[in-house]
Amino acid sequence: MEEPTGTLRYEKIDFLGEGQFATVYKARDVKSDKIVAVKKIKIGSRMEAEDGINRTALREIKLLQELQHINLIGLLDVFGQKSNVSLVFDFMDTDLEIIVKDSNIVLTPANVKAYMIMTLKGLEYLHQNWILHRDLKPNNLLINREGILKIGDFGLAKAFGSPTRINTHQVVTRWYRSPELLFGAKQYGTGVDMWAVGCILAELLLRVPFLPGETDLDQLSRIFQVFGTPTEETWPGMKSLSDYVQYKHFPAQQLRHIFSAASDDLLQLLDSLLSLYPPRRCDCTQALQMPYFSNKPPPSMGPKLPMPTNLFKMEIEKPSLKRKLLDNIEGGSVAKKLLQF
Amino acid sequence: MMSGRIGHLPISSENPLGLSWHDSAWIPSLNPSNIMDYFSERSNPFFDRTCNNEVVKMQRLSMDQLQNMTGLEYVLLHVQEPILYVIRKQHRHSINQTIPLADYYIIAGIVYQAPDLASVLNSRLLSAVHHLQNSFEETMSYSKYHPSKGYWWDFKTNKSGPFNMGQSAPKEVPSASKEEPSTLFQRQRVDMLLAELVRQFPLPVAQAANQNGVTVKTENVIDKNSEKPTEGNNINNITIKQEPVDPISSEMTNGNMQGHMEIKTEIKQENMKPPPEKKPRTL
Repeated sequence: MEEPTGTLRYEKIDFLGEGQFATVYKARDVKSDKIVAVKKIKIGSRMEAEDGINRTALREIKLLQELQHINLIGLLDVFGQKSNVSLVFDFMDTDLEIIVKDSNIVLTPANVKAYMIMTLKGLEYLHQNWILHRDLKPNNLLINREGILKIGDFGLAKAFGSPTRINTHQVVTRWYRSPELLFGAKQYGTGVDMWAVGCILAELLLRVPFLPGETDLDQLSRIFQVFGTPTEETWPGMKSLSDYVQYKHFPAQQLRHIFSAASDDLLQLLDSLLSLYPPRRCDCTQALQMPYFSNKPPPSMGPKLPMPTNLFKMEIEKPSLKRKLLDNIEGGSVAKKLLQF
Repeated sequence: MMSGRIGHLPISSENPLGLSWHDSAWIPSLNPSNIMDYFSERSNPFFDRTCNNEVVKMQRLSMDQLQNMTGLEYVLLHVQEPILYVIRKQHRHSINQTIPLADYYIIAGIVYQAPDLASVLNSRLLSAVHHLQNSFEETMSYSKYHPSKGYWWDFKTNKSGPFNMGQSAPKEVPSASKEEPSTLFQRQRVDMLLAELVRQFPLPVAQAANQNGVTVKTENVIDKNSEKPTEGNNINNITIKQEPVDPISSEMTNGNMQGHMEIKTEIKQENMKPPPEKKPRTL
């Protein structure tokens, strides 16, 4: 008997969400009987499809095929049907944004530590393979019901390290964007991802976005209001960045006043992740070596991590496909974000 | 109050039982709804800011969540407005199982840690033994021996012995602290309590007078005893006898036992005072 391939291999179970470039379905892999997420890439305009296929999808396929790590989303299969391309991913139940916004959940220091370890381990592997993610944010940190966190959405990921290559600075969702990107740096490194991890850690502690800038200028202003306005001494070369603007002098605030319940070792990690001067920022390996990760309390193990309260309720109710679609249209972005790889 | 439990808490390397904390800016506005905020001030050495209360507060969640968490938390245990609040530090294992770790009392805005029984017993035993030892040492200094006469007591000659000197120092302390003026609050509060007791236990005037007489007499007996070792005490004793505040207790016209007890202790302290005063003269 021939093995089922392509569309025959995956039985559509549910509609999950729709993004700019793709539609995502929950499906059953007939071959392995596993639940997976199928991301069907939209054809898009002629401009977007210049390379024959949407660029973000191409990035995902190119990079993820070579990457294997427990804390990175696994690309299980790619298949084409007529002129469509579909990507098959691990199915993930929720993401960190939903957990952060669920006020029924208390994130204990042990939970926060577990999320950070998983994020940093996935990112460490990525950086070791000379890849920048460039779009880290809570809703790209996907979590399954076993409590495993996987970094998803490699649509902006790119190889780094070539000294001559010019990169665009229009990456990373603004709130998680590092100061050098905001100043228009064209050459940057792992620091942009580390800054985003720092912002995510801060958000896990505060349960609201740490630096919710309304414009790029406002974003920098918020950053400096917390960390103090940098000078040419604290950040050599800052003034030669293309979008550099002079900011009013703000004094630095004490992190322990903002994160009142954070232990000293956690503040040390935060301070290192959120250093204004990019070379001062720690990398993943250094971060994982910091005392915070070896001190008490130990991180919560997978099944002990909290799950959104409505996750299992949703399954019991089993809303009709139509209602779910309606929810999505009515600005119910939750499902959309849930599985937008 | 120095016990062997030093360094038990991470907050302070000092013995927490010897600490107190307050923030005078808060004191006038303390009430049951903000007392936990007052206690969780950053500078309060008794507050461990990694506790669940602070975690919930930092995450902007409802304090009801504390019930569902495990670990260290603080709860308001008792309120006696406007002056006393008791806060308990406890380790929560589940919704209905907690293990108390320590109690803190906030009296007139000042935070103290309530001592545990072991510390209280330790301290009391230590001071009892200390006083016993002192008395033995002093007694020893009066005992004399001669091969032909054997042992005898000599209370006359050994006035300025080393033990008297040693004793003089600690006894200065109570007399000094006594001279501290009471605050307006204390005076009003004590007057209020006394008046309340008078109202609760009214006693016939005659009986009260008798009792006063008795107490004075006993004081006199004690005075005589203590006179023996030091002759020059007479002058001092006279001042003490004036001090027993007989007028006050008779004005009170009641048999308030507490009042008597207090007065007695005062007198005793006064009795102990003379030696140090005398010593400089002899030297």
